[in-house]
Amino acid sequence: MNFKKLLVVLLCLPLTVLADAEDGREKAQICAACHGIDGNSISPQYPNLSGQTARYIYLQLKDFKRSRRNDPLMSPMAANLSKQDMNDLADWYASQTYNGQNSKKIDADLGKGKKLADAALCTMCHAGGFTGQNEIPRLAGQHYEYLIKQLKDFKVKHRTNDAGNMTAVVRTIPDEDLEDIAAYISSQQ
Amino acid sequence: MTSFKLGLMAGTAALAVLGSSALAQEVTGGNTDTTQAMSSNLRAVSQARLDGADTEKTDWLQVNGGYSQKRYFPSSQINSSNVHQLKTSFIFQTAVLESMETAPLVVDGVMYITTSYNHIHAIDAVSGKEFWHYKHAMGPVTVYCCGPNNRGVAALDGKVFMATLDAKLVALDAKTGGKIWETQIADPELGYSETMAPVAVDGKILIGTNGGEYGIRGFVKAYDANSGKLAWTFHTIPERGHEGVWATHDSTGRDMHRNIAAEKKMLSKRGGDFYQTLGGGVWMSPAVDQDTDTVFFVVGNPSPDLYGDIRPGDNLYTNSMVAIDLNTGSYKWHHQYIAHDVWDLDAVSPVILTEAKDKSGKMRKVAIHGGKTGHVYVHDRATGELVRFSDAMVPQDDMWVLPTAEGTRMLPGANGGVEWSPMAVNEDLGLAYAANLHQPMTYHVEAAEYPGGDKLWLGGAFKVIPGEASWGRLSAVDINSGKIAWEADTDQPLMGGVLATAGNLVFTGEGNGSFNAYDATTGAKLWSFQAGAGVNAPAVSYMVNGKQYIAVAAGGNNQLNFKRGNNVIVFELP
Repeated sequence: MNFKKLLVVLLCLPLTVLADAEDGREKAQICAACHGIDGNSISPQYPNLSGQTARYIYLQLKDFKRSRRNDPLMSPMAANLSKQDMNDLADWYASQTYNGQNSKKIDADLGKGKKLADAALCTMCHAGGFTGQNEIPRLAGQHYEYLIKQLKDFKVKHRTNDAGNMTAVVRTIPDEDLEDIAAYISSQQ
Repeated sequence: MTSFKLGLMAGTAALAVLGSSALAQEVTGGNTDTTQAMSSNLRAVSQARLDGADTEKTDWLQVNGGYSQKRYFPSSQINSSNVHQLKTSFIFQTAVLESMETAPLVVDGVMYITTSYNHIHAIDAVSGKEFWHYKHAMGPVTVYCCGPNNRGVAALDGKVFMATLDAKLVALDAKTGGKIWETQIADPELGYSETMAPVAVDGKILIGTNGGEYGIRGFVKAYDANSGKLAWTFHTIPERGHEGVWATHDSTGRDMHRNIAAEKKMLSKRGGDFYQTLGGGVWMSPAVDQDTDTVFFVVGNPSPDLYGDIRPGDNLYTNSMVAIDLNTGSYKWHHQYIAHDVWDLDAVSPVILTEAKDKSGKMRKVAIHGGKTGHVYVHDRATGELVRFSDAMVPQDDMWVLPTAEGTRMLPGANGGVEWSPMAVNEDLGLAYAANLHQPMTYHVEAAEYPGGDKLWLGGAFKVIPGEASWGRLSAVDINSGKIAWEADTDQPLMGGVLATAGNLVFTGEGNGSFNAYDATTGAKLWSFQAGAGVNAPAVSYMVNGKQYIAVAAGGNNQLNFKRGNNVIVFELP
């Protein structure tokens, strides 16, 4: 790699990498078993975090820490994180690139899933292509298993740290339709 | 090695300017800047020029034309007889491929264009060549509903002013794009953000705020144009008295099915301190009546949008038109359309100052607003009295059935009627032109306490009903009678706004990329151009060297997920 190419690569990296890369990478070692060191999880029950919005990761870690979101694995992991830790981790994963690998549901009706997702106005918050914005998570490239679990958890209020928005959206959607929606979203890259 | 080090430093500086949150949405793969020396024709926009902007025959000095916001350009060079010949002059591609709701300004042949994520391009309004490109250094936290939009700049005394997603107001040198001052308007971590174009008047910069979806306390603020120092703040939610008069019916006389007894009980239980999170954003540029030094604007929904139990009372001044004093920011009057709104059918589209007949046939100075409800409301400018409201422009059904957990169907859907889209007025014809949506929805309520400002707080949801068609409607409303003069339907819901010209023309765009011209008198579609991305921004018109141009942004829309683009397209006659 010559200097010119290296410079191009450096210019393409977000500023946050230059600021927090090493701290975030170091702190993410303990997360790697489930989420992958670069946020590309190989286990479909654990979410991909690569390219996730920093704000969403930070707020979720904060919610786990203060028990607004609960999970037997994540809650203890977040319990002792400082604000700096959470920001470093958020910046680290946000700076990583999704590797194109995620689990999908192969027997789903993606066309129906898209129609249902359109009717639920998902992209009004999650943005076009499900790329997420700010505190609203990126869903493109997410594992199907993780997505459907979250949708169902919102529906029965096992997950309540969304200020009720997601519960209101999915409450009236039958489980089989949620599966088509999750399948469609997981097909987005 | 030296050159590498220098290169890295320059790269770091560039990234610092760009901000990490904007990177993903930038158009990559090449340098978009074609910087050249600023046009020597450019003069400062003095207050005297702004005073005449409403009847300005050459420039487009404010996003909605002038202080009256009629969006009416007095040239008839392009007219209903020759508009079919309209062709592109040039296409300018901005650096950001994302939702465009912006209206350019044109000053002495220089056009100022804003984009999502707060870039500004200054370009030659005839050739499309770029003079400068400003990228706002976005702060680490931004919180906003409905897309990273920006709706334009204000210009005054050699500066241009833009409000940003991280809730700042920046003043730039109009000639160079260099930053002169910057001030923090409010705290983005509490849900404050900016997408509207500021208004420059009498040495002040007026600005509202987004955030009604996050539990803010809304405001309109005035800053000193030279120093950036705060002059005054008008809070759209009063600390005392926001419970109002316990109105049981809306402005049109419909029962809103409020449980006043339960609300009063809740108020005595909770107290009134929720004024601090009661919402009331001001999304669009205010109108200014310079004869009376009055600022007019409409205030958006209460927070949370659909869950009303924890915010008892009328929730003043949400869903209202409000008039305040230009010099002090003090209250003059308000008129609330929907008290205690639980449908997010709030007031967004900017106020227009014009004249209309009252019921006795006498002409009155009025302030009008196109509502999400589907009505155009006509108010006496001095008192706020509702002179009339128009016939419904779109289907209405079951107003005001209350939202439930399972969802209830009511029309219009939560996007309107008329969303933020600015209307236009042709005073010679006595018509107001409104871009409407028809999007059948169900309204769902979900109990939710204030989540702290860092999360969306709707208290429910609204959802499109599968199988029920959505569409758009451009409506011409006779403001002297409230009757619909004509309507032109479109395949997709309309969002973006309207331009009217003295050429007996009305321009508006569609999400499918069509940019259309209509006969202002009859509504006949006379011309259409396929822009390749959603045309969801209000068009403008201007003259350079005696030739009339029409300009519009085609960048699609986040809220309705219309195809994104990054173009500003300019049209002329052959």
